Amino acid sequence: MNLNPMFIIAKKEIMDNIRNKWIIILSIIFFLLTLVVSYFGSLYSEGWQDLGITISGMMNLVQFLVPIIALILGYAAIIGEIERGSMSALLSQPTSRLEIVLGKFIGLGSIISITIIMGFGIAGIIIALNVANTNFLDYLIFIASTILLGLVFLCLAIFFSTLFNKRSTAMGGAILLWFLFNMILPIIFTGLLAMSVGLQGLIEGTIPEWYHYLTLINPLSIYGNLNSIALNLSFGGQANFTYPSIFSGGLMAGLLLLWIVIFLLLSIWRFNKKDI
Amino acid sequence: MIIITEEKNNYSYVIEVNNLTKIYEKIKAVNNVSFKIKQREIFGFLGPNGAGKTTTIKAILGLITINSGDIKINGLGILKDGKNVKKNIGYLPEKVAFYDNLTALQNLNFYAEMKNASRNQCKTLIDEFGLSEWTNKKVGKFSKGMIQRLGMARAILGNPSVLILDEPSGGLDPRGVVLIRDKIREMRDKGVTIFVSSHILSEIQEVCDRVGIIDKGVLVAKDSVSALSGKLDLKPKISIELEKITDKVVKSVREIKGVEKVDVKDRIMDVSCEPKTKSKVIIAIEKAGGNIINLKTKEPSLEEVFMRYTEESK
Repeated sequence: MNLNPMFIIAKKEIMDNIRNKWIIILSIIFFLLTLVVSYFGSLYSEGWQDLGITISGMMNLVQFLVPIIALILGYAAIIGEIERGSMSALLSQPTSRLEIVLGKFIGLGSIISITIIMGFGIAGIIIALNVANTNFLDYLIFIASTILLGLVFLCLAIFFSTLFNKRSTAMGGAILLWFLFNMILPIIFTGLLAMSVGLQGLIEGTIPEWYHYLTLINPLSIYGNLNSIALNLSFGGQANFTYPSIFSGGLMAGLLLLWIVIFLLLSIWRFNKKDI
Repeated sequence: MIIITEEKNNYSYVIEVNNLTKIYEKIKAVNNVSFKIKQREIFGFLGPNGAGKTTTIKAILGLITINSGDIKINGLGILKDGKNVKKNIGYLPEKVAFYDNLTALQNLNFYAEMKNASRNQCKTLIDEFGLSEWTNKKVGKFSKGMIQRLGMARAILGNPSVLILDEPSGGLDPRGVVLIRDKIREMRDKGVTIFVSSHILSEIQEVCDRVGIIDKGVLVAKDSVSALSGKLDLKPKISIELEKITDKVVKSVREIKGVEKVDVKDRIMDVSCEPKTKSKVIIAIEKAGGNIINLKTKEPSLEEVFMRYTEESK
């Protein structure tokens, strides 16, 4: 069968990750975390929690874990092959740089998607068997948004992989990026919020509208907003605030997609300019 | 000053490089290089380290951006129509690399799929390059020579009409060198056009129809080895083995008009002279009492040509 080179590259990425057992390891991690959070994660009641409470408990874990996994999977996608020397052979095949970047994205994106679906999916089924009134749609939205978050960070990692000339620099960049979105930006945002509303306002949960817009520069915030809006989640009392009227689950999903598209395009542009 | 004579365009050229220039951080790695290679030709590309050989090859394959120039393979531009052009190119890079976590067969299968080539050819090529026992072993365990052989197999996969080989003998043992050399000739006989870069001059001289010599990014010469040595006025050498070499014999040879240089080592006398002077040398040796045991004529070597051209460009 004459497959497009993009899919041949994607297939190879998937097969590589099946061979080195990454898919199984990550799926098990997601599976166990979900079960642990569902069974032990609530302060208010013992035993299995329903999927809504499980999702609330999973949000912070996902925001830490999924980006780092996506960054690890993607940071060497291009520069790794260049450093190893296999990129020149790959580029001498009847394919284009566009197809190589897209092939890597589809392949590695599939790994992220498969592991999230398997890990969260199987755990969700087990939880559903143990609790009453299961809202599967909310859980599916959570899984889909988590996949989107993974793909955003995968694109960022692939972009770094095309941006830098050394694998080690790309890895450093990826780690820095993780800290930026998980630690640095939230601290800066909170600082700005405290300066704006004061400590009392902060304690009372007063959040001005501009703050919501500001947080959109962090894909983790967009992910949080998406789940919070679409699933009407409550995070330790933070549900007191109201989002700007323009905010919706669809808009947040669209913004995550925009991150993916922008960084994919940037990766293709950068890779096209790169000497091998 | 060496003047390069341009080839007459009587052939359909498979590889055409016109005025190629590539600048790395203000340094011209390749400076206005032009050459054409016709079908079934083996073109040797020579140059000292850092002369611009690999940069030229990478430009031909579209692996690097170029500052100016035009490159065509089979009449198609590599920049405009790269994907179609590469369907007919087999490439052996200087640094051959594979996916270490895959076996030899899995690696070749991947490239076969990329080239839409038959998977059956993968096993055949692995066998042809003496790697049968290693078919299902991971490439990460291969020696440099084995990787080089597998690299050559990958280049031939899909029966390309153009082969671009960058240092094909790198890391190979003598048996491997012969294997690759025979394969190059076999491919030429099948109608393949071959561009081969190497620093092993004897290897190039043995297989190439024409050579190009690049130095400091400038193509200083291109032609057949004999034509280039003719341009440099390099004389053939007569290597004469004598029973005993006396001063009288040496002096009598040196006095012959047309003899350029006489080197003596043990019982061997190397005489550089015009071909027509050869008989005079033999007569002079015999008259001076020398007893000739053996006599060989050596054409100017590519090494001499290479040294002269790269020296003159300094």
